Amino acid sequence: MKEIILLGILISTYFMIIAKRMPALIRSFRYQSFFLFLATFVIAWGEDQPDLYIICGLLFIIKVSLIPYLLYRITNKIKAGQDLGLIVNSQLSLLCALGFTYLAWIFSAHLFSDLNQAMVSILAVAFFMVLTGLFLMISRMTALAQVVGLLVMENGLFLLASTVSGGMPFFVEIAIFFDVFISVVIMGFFVYRINKLFTHIDVDKLSHLRG
Amino acid sequence: MQVFFILGIPFVLAISALLIKNRKILGLLNCLGYLAVLFFSTVLLKQIALSEGTRAYLGFIYLDTLSVFFILVTSVVALAVALYSIGYLKKDIEEGRISERKSRIYYLLFNLFCCSMFVVPAVNNLGILWVAIEMTTLLSAFLVGFYNTKKSIEAAWKYIIICSVGIIFALLGTILFSYAFSISGLSKSLNWSDIVPVAHILDKDILKIAFIFILVGYGTKAGLAPMHTWLPDAHSQAPAPISALLSGVLLKMAIYAILRFGIITIKGVGFAYFSNLMILLGVVSLVISSGFILVQKDFKRLLAYSSIEHIGIIAIGFGLGTPLAVAGAALHVFNHAVAKSLMFFGAGNIVGVYKKHNLNAIRGVIKVLPFTGIAVLIGVFVLTGFPPFSLFVSEMMIIISAFTNGSYLVGALLLLFLAVIFGGFIYHFGKMLFGNLPKGMTRAQEPLSTKIAFIFLFFPVCALGITLLFINKDWLWLAQRLLQR
Repeated sequence: MKEIILLGILISTYFMIIAKRMPALIRSFRYQSFFLFLATFVIAWGEDQPDLYIICGLLFIIKVSLIPYLLYRITNKIKAGQDLGLIVNSQLSLLCALGFTYLAWIFSAHLFSDLNQAMVSILAVAFFMVLTGLFLMISRMTALAQVVGLLVMENGLFLLASTVSGGMPFFVEIAIFFDVFISVVIMGFFVYRINKLFTHIDVDKLSHLRG
Repeated sequence: MQVFFILGIPFVLAISALLIKNRKILGLLNCLGYLAVLFFSTVLLKQIALSEGTRAYLGFIYLDTLSVFFILVTSVVALAVALYSIGYLKKDIEEGRISERKSRIYYLLFNLFCCSMFVVPAVNNLGILWVAIEMTTLLSAFLVGFYNTKKSIEAAWKYIIICSVGIIFALLGTILFSYAFSISGLSKSLNWSDIVPVAHILDKDILKIAFIFILVGYGTKAGLAPMHTWLPDAHSQAPAPISALLSGVLLKMAIYAILRFGIITIKGVGFAYFSNLMILLGVVSLVISSGFILVQKDFKRLLAYSSIEHIGIIAIGFGLGTPLAVAGAALHVFNHAVAKSLMFFGAGNIVGVYKKHNLNAIRGVIKVLPFTGIAVLIGVFVLTGFPPFSLFVSEMMIIISAFTNGSYLVGALLLLFLAVIFGGFIYHFGKMLFGNLPKGMTRAQEPLSTKIAFIFLFFPVCALGITLLFINKDWLWLAQRLLQR
């Protein structure tokens, strides 16, 4: 069961890498968050912790429903923002992603040598997500894609935290959820502003400030 | 108990910004509020630093000398900013750059920003520490983009994205620290006061990797090169009082977070690891910033690069780790916060009158703005570490301990780049401050609140510089003991 969920996370992340347009990226992000929700739910079921159920609920409300909804709304309002503006094309991005998968595997196998194989594979997926998020932020031109990249990194860290250290303390987890949500709202606000002032959201062209 | 006042007053002031319509009353209220905060933090420092004790409330707040010291630094700068903001906002409104309503939004955000910065040193939980630092980014992003021009929005976007990515790495580091703690067989917790006593039994490899992530993450926020790229943009585009807060306090909060994790790392892995990384980043910051200072054309960017330089010096000081160097670095944190606020206030006044940032286009400041001009002139000497000001003392403490510690290369590099930066500053500011009255300009008015803010900031840098030289017996004794070691 856990393996299937993990595979789901991995595949949805690969979908994000090859997405060329904003709606596809958001859809894949939603799948990814949903699989993350399932993974947390399985852990909560296994350990029977009431705290984890609440975190599951929050995950579903914030990352599966609210944030994708907000992102869709912004994309629709900014018609120009649909294209992602790939600096690295899809094929090359896919190759990079394969490389990241390998790197993440090596890194987690090295770092957590005393753990069992199943644990190491979860960690590998988590690190892979962090790397992919960073890659998305660097290699996509639009401001919205950067926000999604940040969210992917955050999702990776959530997976890492919930498996490695058995979850952060409850209120820290809540605070981080709150924080992520606020940051998406604020970044969305700035995307609007950028679109209004510059009539585009290509971060590549934000180059007034130099030196 | 005082800590609750310190956390509560900015929050109450933020709410009052929503309720009170009159800007003058609001400004006065802010000054009184931060005066009270300064009073409480001084009392707290006296109680905790002198008794070498710690305080914990509800398992949530944990105070030791380190955190109380950073609270004091914040409250000094916050009071100065509250004073300066009165005149600054008045001018902005008179010239139609912002509306009355927006000045209330300014006070709301400013107080929330201060509140989140007081939370950072006060919390015990390392996860909440992360959340608080991320909150400082999110709240100040609005203040950076306050004027809503193309440049300021661009700066705010770069600021929020680069700092958020950086801070994600810090979260990764925090998770790895908590992992190292959880496999040591103890009950799971992220409380600093729980982790430190057992730091020596934690897994060394994981601590090493985790600290790298922490250093990259919070280092981004602290403006350590080569992760500093957001800093010149944000500092140059924010309103002057906010630049002072960003440069004076926000960067130090990230340094504080690095130190908290650094203490765990030192106990777990040994001092050399922490020391080498800090000194490396510090020296890189010094080199990069000095280059940019020499070729800089923009007034406020010049000050921003100077912040990177001083953060580098602070990192080197803590990295050297001898008692003298650590004392010097701590003193430098305070000194830089005060001196840089002073300079940004001066910059705010000058840019307000001349309407441009270009260093080559500004001439004869002392004739146009006598008080500000002289304040900036003294500020240049303060900032570049000229005696008798206290930056001289703190920089000397760090340099002396570099040499006595055997790190000759670091000491030599420090001296070299400080000299280069001193030259750069004198060159740039000499041209700017002196010279004839430019055509079409007359003597401008300087608001009283601004003057009070300048005098308030001058007092500590002068007093500390002079009194520390008089009680230098203690420092010499410390230095001699280090030499004999």
